[in-house]
Amino acid sequence: MVGCSESETDPIVSFQSSLDVEQLMHYVLEPAADTIWDSAGTIATLEGVEDLAPTTEEGWFRVQHAAAVISESGNLLLMPGRTMDGDDWQEISHGLVSTGASIMTAAEQQDADAIFDLGGQLYNVCVACHQRYWVENDQ
Amino acid sequence: MIVKKQNLTIALFALLLPVASAQAHHAFGAEFDPNRPLLIKGEVIKVEWVNPHAWIHIAREMEDGTTESWMVEGGTPNTLLRRGINRDSLKPGIYLVVDGYQSKDRSNRANGRNITYSDGTTLFLGSSGTGAPRDGADPRERSQ
Repeated sequence: MVGCSESETDPIVSFQSSLDVEQLMHYVLEPAADTIWDSAGTIATLEGVEDLAPTTEEGWFRVQHAAAVISESGNLLLMPGRTMDGDDWQEISHGLVSTGASIMTAAEQQDADAIFDLGGQLYNVCVACHQRYWVENDQ
Repeated sequence: MIVKKQNLTIALFALLLPVASAQAHHAFGAEFDPNRPLLIKGEVIKVEWVNPHAWIHIAREMEDGTTESWMVEGGTPNTLLRRGINRDSLKPGIYLVVDGYQSKDRSNRANGRNITYSDGTTLFLGSSGTGAPRDGADPRERSQ
């Protein structure tokens, strides 16, 4: 496991990414975010209220998995060829890492309320990035 | 030159992130028409209290006496809570007046700006910074 530890002697390696930023959003980040958003909250009708929180271990694992994807995607956005600038881009990417990690912890604790609140925080990270870097085609 | 380079970079990124790629977490202009303001009055029949947007389903009262089922998008639940809207104040069975903007595809979907309760209380339903028209509904825009 020596090769898995962090040290100052980590070898310098080259990256070979297979997705551009749009594809990373579409295939990796968006499905993971949707899984998290679909796993917390309520749907109320005249007949009653449905709680969307997972009810099985498999359901909670899906949230943990999605949170792990979100968290590490923050680092994927910092890979050479994807970084837009040195400041805001890095801060937003780190926001994904920390928010994803918090959601993982909440999922491990099966804390549906925390996942709901953190789902809002995750959206704020998305919006911060889109406001800074995303210019709509129709504007 | 730095500014020009930055603009070019952002423009490139805009090409990388077309509007069509966003679904659940879109900007206003991706789905809604700022030239199609509308009022929706009727009974709330369903509330999706979910991220990234809350959705209110309303049996909209039409002029001919019939009703149509409409979906109204609101801000994030956390945003709505800060504006005084919660699961207890926004539930099926209540009567609401919503002003907002219809979807570009002319379906029965709208982006909500303000909701008005039966007692006359009006609250901002949307989120700031989504690209929605600066129509005075957003308190943050009014203070700027």
